[in-house]
Amino acid sequence: MGIINRAIRNISRRKIRALLVIIALGFSMAIMVSIPAGVIANQQTSSAMASNLSNVISQTSDAINKTATQIDCSLASDLSGFGFAPPDNAGGGRPFGGGSPPAGFDPSQFGGGGTPGRFGGGAFGGGQANPMNESLYTDIDSTISGIAAVEPILQASEGSNATISFFGRTFTRLVTEYTIEGIPLTSNLVDNYNILPTNITAGRNLQAGESGVVLLSENNSAYFGVGVGDTVNILDHTFTVVGIHGSSSVSDRLTLYMNLSDAQTATNNTGYITSLRVFATSSDVVTQVATSISSLHSELTVTTDQTRLNQLQTLQSTYSAQLASAQESNSQTYATAVEEIVVVVVATSLIVLFVMLYTVKERTKEIGTLKAIGFSNLNVMSQFMLEGVLLSMIAGVVGIAIGSIAAPTISSLLLPSTGISGVIRISGLSVATLNPELILALFGAAVLLGTLGSLYPAWRAAKIRPAEAMKYE
Amino acid sequence: MSKPVLQIESLNKTYMLGKRPVQALNNLNLQVNQGEFIAIMGPSGSGKTTLLNIIGAIDKPTSGQVLLDGIDVGKMPENQLYKVRRDKMGFVFQTFNLLPYLNARENVELPMEGRGKSKSEQKKRASELLALVGLSGRENHRPQRLSAGEQQRVAIARALANNPAFILADEPTGNLDSQNKQEIIKLLANLNLTQGTTIIMVTHDSQAANHTERMLLLKDGKIVKEKEGLHLAKKNNKCPHCGNDIQISDSTCPSCKKPIYSSDEIFST
Repeated sequence: MGIINRAIRNISRRKIRALLVIIALGFSMAIMVSIPAGVIANQQTSSAMASNLSNVISQTSDAINKTATQIDCSLASDLSGFGFAPPDNAGGGRPFGGGSPPAGFDPSQFGGGGTPGRFGGGAFGGGQANPMNESLYTDIDSTISGIAAVEPILQASEGSNATISFFGRTFTRLVTEYTIEGIPLTSNLVDNYNILPTNITAGRNLQAGESGVVLLSENNSAYFGVGVGDTVNILDHTFTVVGIHGSSSVSDRLTLYMNLSDAQTATNNTGYITSLRVFATSSDVVTQVATSISSLHSELTVTTDQTRLNQLQTLQSTYSAQLASAQESNSQTYATAVEEIVVVVVATSLIVLFVMLYTVKERTKEIGTLKAIGFSNLNVMSQFMLEGVLLSMIAGVVGIAIGSIAAPTISSLLLPSTGISGVIRISGLSVATLNPELILALFGAAVLLGTLGSLYPAWRAAKIRPAEAMKYE
Repeated sequence: MSKPVLQIESLNKTYMLGKRPVQALNNLNLQVNQGEFIAIMGPSGSGKTTLLNIIGAIDKPTSGQVLLDGIDVGKMPENQLYKVRRDKMGFVFQTFNLLPYLNARENVELPMEGRGKSKSEQKKRASELLALVGLSGRENHRPQRLSAGEQQRVAIARALANNPAFILADEPTGNLDSQNKQEIIKLLANLNLTQGTTIIMVTHDSQAANHTERMLLLKDGKIVKEKEGLHLAKKNNKCPHCGNDIQISDSTCPSCKKPIYSSDEIFST
């Protein structure tokens, strides 16, 4: 009849009491293990958020830098929205689509690790720009000072006519199937001005000096039924698909990118462009450059993105504030967790202490008898320590069981939620889970707290006089 | 003449009851020989249990000597005394004091723990002892499934576990009916005869005391009277009434037909 066997029998002797104690201890141990699990999850979440925010902040900085120096130029929009045939291309009938409107900033581009959009590059369907002679490009570039680079753009939408009935009247409307965007693939623009889409989902991006190649959107890829490496026939011209871009905005969804001269050839618009994007040497001279362009070419609509710049700067400061508050709330969470763990550790030890003290008091006569028949103080002490530790270990198992189910609930109840709210949502927030290290640590804590809590009661037990066996009340 | 196994000289024990000192034992002297069966009697508060506790090394004397095989246990440190209790003493209590969550055999095995015996040896010894006290076949019964008399038998078997020099019994019949009382006294008497174990029994019960070989009357912490009991004659296989030969197992004398266990009052109070 060993000491362990006796400890087990003693615990199971009063089943209801043992059950209640184990449930109480089990819950406090579940809390004990759920809090660190929650802290770990919170840290993962907030570090993901922080790195995401840092990305967004640096992207926004890029955007600000670009926006600050960017000037969009186009001919007055033809708001009818119908196709337009260039004057020197009577038989062509290639309609020009999509302008280069001062695109509104789309905050959705910034969520979830999104890439910065291609600013202002989208065909928004807000009107179609009229073509202008390519010579404007060299003209502006050479005559106006304060210009770092000029990007001439040719944008043309291809589609089919659809008939629409509207209040009994019939209209014919062009439904866009894809939009060609021709951009000059010079190394200066490609390397320094980020004129290409950044979100490449397959293959690679266009490279400086390339020709006869095309970068499709996912939508285009499905429309033409081709993938990376395939050749695709666009307006009777053959191109090799080098990559697929994931659209970062609605306007980008139908857009395929190619070299400007390829686009001009394919759309029979040699010598024509639809818009110009001028990059000033610095944000200080933007207004001056824009004024110069306007006075030189009064036919152009010249837009500097002051509004968008303001928006971006506001967003930037919001993000920075949120990053700071995330770090702040992280340390707050940590402090709260430490406080709560201290409380629950003390509570657990106290439960063990009181239960074991009660047991010792209740079994005074039994202890006296054991000592009278020859048990040493050490025997008695280890008997009660073992009972306390065993009780605590059983509760530890229960705590792990409860924790593995309820850790997310418990930790979200007890810990302040990670402090970035509202503007930025991160998909896949980390959930509190018990990893093997935590389970092992809890088991260690159970043994430790069982030992700690039963130390004093066991010492009291050892001090009971054997003569207690003779008290016959 | 048997050699003395216990010599008590000038034993004093003073308790503090609150701030009032109470002299439980007052300059007490006692010599117990090997194999004696002694009853200690006396009114409440006369110091019976205190004396038994000091002999059993569970209480310490205030002054005086308690020589157990020539060693003064009164001066032994606490961390040695448990060995004396374990190896030399077998306690029997009025309330049996069995562990309720252990069966009879496991209760008997308890004192053997820490003596370096193997589990199977402990088990064998416990079964033998239970057979000796007439409980073979009841080894696996827990105390609540045993009668009071049976529980006290288990307690006696437990007391014998380590082959002690003494059995110290504190009112062993105090919680038993007359039938079981007689059985337990007979059992102790037979153990004394067959095993040669020295037995010191504290009792209020003069009938029980009468069946020991020497009765001591304690009063105010002193032995005030000593008397021979019926057991002395029995030890010599003589009828305590007529002096003719008897057998250990006889309950009445074959010659004079008187009951060997009588209920004569021996001490007047």
